Amino acid sequence: MDFKRTRIKRLGFVKALSIAGRVGRVTRKYPFEEPLVTPDFRGKIEISEDKCIGCGACVNACPPNALEKISYGKGLYAIKYFIGRCIYCWRCIDVCPVNAITGSREFELATNDLGDLYELVVHDMVKCSICGEYFISTGQRNYVLARSPLTEKYVNIDPNCRKDMFLQNILKRFGGGHD
Amino acid sequence: MKIHVEKNKVEERVNEYIKVVRSIDNRSEVVLKDDTLFITVSREKLRDLAKVIYWDMDCFHRTCVGVDERSLNGYFALYHIFGDDRYGLNVVVKVYGDSKEPVFPSIVDIVPAADWCEMEARDLLGFKFLGRKEYRLILPPSWPNNVYPLRKDYPYNQRPKIIATSEKLSGGSETGVAVPIGPYHPALHEPEYFELFVEGERVVDVRYRGFHVHRGIEKLGETRMTYQQVNFLAERICGICGFEHSVCYSQAVEKAAGIHVPERAKFIRSIVLELERIHSHLLWIGVACHLLGYDTGFMHTWRIREHIMIATEMLTGSRKTYGINLIGGVRRDINEEKKQRVLDILKIVEREFTELVETITSVPQIKMRLKGTGVLPKEDARKLSVVGPVARASGIDRDIRRDLPYAAYSYASFNVPVYDDGDNLSRFLVRVDEIYESISITRQLLDQIPKGPIMAEEIEIPEYRIGVSVVEAPRGEDVHFVITGHGKPYRWRVRAPTYNNIPALKVMLKDAPLADAPLTIASIDPCFSCTDRVVVIDVNSGVKNKINLNVYGLEGCYYGF
Repeated sequence: MDFKRTRIKRLGFVKALSIAGRVGRVTRKYPFEEPLVTPDFRGKIEISEDKCIGCGACVNACPPNALEKISYGKGLYAIKYFIGRCIYCWRCIDVCPVNAITGSREFELATNDLGDLYELVVHDMVKCSICGEYFISTGQRNYVLARSPLTEKYVNIDPNCRKDMFLQNILKRFGGGHD
Repeated sequence: MKIHVEKNKVEERVNEYIKVVRSIDNRSEVVLKDDTLFITVSREKLRDLAKVIYWDMDCFHRTCVGVDERSLNGYFALYHIFGDDRYGLNVVVKVYGDSKEPVFPSIVDIVPAADWCEMEARDLLGFKFLGRKEYRLILPPSWPNNVYPLRKDYPYNQRPKIIATSEKLSGGSETGVAVPIGPYHPALHEPEYFELFVEGERVVDVRYRGFHVHRGIEKLGETRMTYQQVNFLAERICGICGFEHSVCYSQAVEKAAGIHVPERAKFIRSIVLELERIHSHLLWIGVACHLLGYDTGFMHTWRIREHIMIATEMLTGSRKTYGINLIGGVRRDINEEKKQRVLDILKIVEREFTELVETITSVPQIKMRLKGTGVLPKEDARKLSVVGPVARASGIDRDIRRDLPYAAYSYASFNVPVYDDGDNLSRFLVRVDEIYESISITRQLLDQIPKGPIMAEEIEIPEYRIGVSVVEAPRGEDVHFVITGHGKPYRWRVRAPTYNNIPALKVMLKDAPLADAPLTIASIDPCFSCTDRVVVIDVNSGVKNKINLNVYGLEGCYYGF
């Protein structure tokens, strides 16, 4: 390609008229017609309450903290999705281990009610069978149980108590264990 | 024309550097890693070395970075990043500063381009620079004096007690009338402030005050976020060329950590980068037409640009802030159908753009307003290390895509348009030519795209490694400097192209008619936006007149969302 400067052609600018005539009207009648988004457009996300196990992988990945893990009273916590912060990057969809999050093409999310912008998925928690502290969601426990050969007894013990138990066992084996 | 630098020539050049550095300071350290040469010298020798590198070795100055390394080695450090573009090298010169009182020699009299970044390090890290006039650049005037937000012992969420004061800027000069350009309005996107001193219709001097919207993005990336999250933050540095920042950041981390990005991911990055350049240049041409009162051109350029916006939405999922970039690769693949659609769109864009440019350039008034206005001579351009189309329009042949090829640019052949006049017309033509080159690059890359994965399998980022990455954005080169840390960057420095180009406006505007000022300011394609208002102030009688100059066209539209 040569970079010769375009010469001024006299009256060349009248061509704009023919371009305008050919192109015609390009302004759409939106919102009275379908929005012009392609099938690949990333919009609002949906979290399935049935599938979500409350592991918080999406919370860790979310760049703008639109997803948060919040306490929701005794023995409960919630994954909170705030649409106002969401940048629709769909990182949460990438990282979700149980495919609980799906993306939609929805983007017309303006509202008069702030409450419309919050979505909560509440999870109940499992109590540790030794110390009685809540430590994990029921969904997560069931997820682990379905995938690993841990016994039901073991999976109900929180990590700290499990660590203690493990140390006690070692000490017992090597003869130093006493309470 | 593509310049291939032979490998032994680069080796020779590196040896030359080693010889020069040793002759200046025999205790210095020189390490070559990939395309970056790391040099550590003593403070006293910095000025000598800077002089040799910037003038004798004919390097550009990219930026300088202040780092609080006290938790690593007990010192502050200052990194000057030079660019030896002809040999494809980054040259990083490091000096240490005392942990109590970090004092550094200033190199601004040798390297005028280092003015702003030195003042930035002064504001944000409390460095002292000897032998220069120090002033506040970044922080607001009411910010307390001994609070340095980028030091590691300063928490990211702490707010110092601020008693708001106003900064007096429109003082006027003895000779003439001051014309402030720019809003001090909190609701506008990116306020900037120019003060033009005029005598009659001629501009005699220019003052600039910016950084009203310094968002502390670097601090946020260093404290609050993780490696992969910063990609999305980096993309939001700029509303128009965000993907360049995101690519630049991830490349810096990839370089520091030695991560191998799959070829296919590199191609996808390059393709999206080029599409972004096309839309950005089309946007600029539209705005330039609007500024010249030729709204027909403005409307039609933006109509053509819409095709590109749809193409990027199809490829990435979003019109802007694509969000497909991660450290190690990209998140969205291009299939045959999409490839074909992009090729079809490019065909339409090329045809319609050719027709439109012919029409625009044949409007006599447009050419008259562009030709010979806002001239930036080559010597000044070199002194200030200006970047991108501004440099290329002033006869400086530099383009990072060719000189330090990243992503998949080494697989494409393209021209780098260079014009010698340095006026607004040259900057216009450089961008017009670049649109054609970008269309050609996109086609070549789509044609050659290899099969394979789009994401690196293993991503491990060791701590405290340095990565310097440079990416040619539509406005010039982006520079990202990353020191890796634990789970997030230890230091992340961003330099956007407008940072280097704004100081050049002083040269361009001087002795020019006031009527050309809006176009000249816009001709560097600055990254601040929206309606600029001009208030003509007479020194004696206060506010005289208010004109809506409308530098960026329709309110809020410059972002192009």
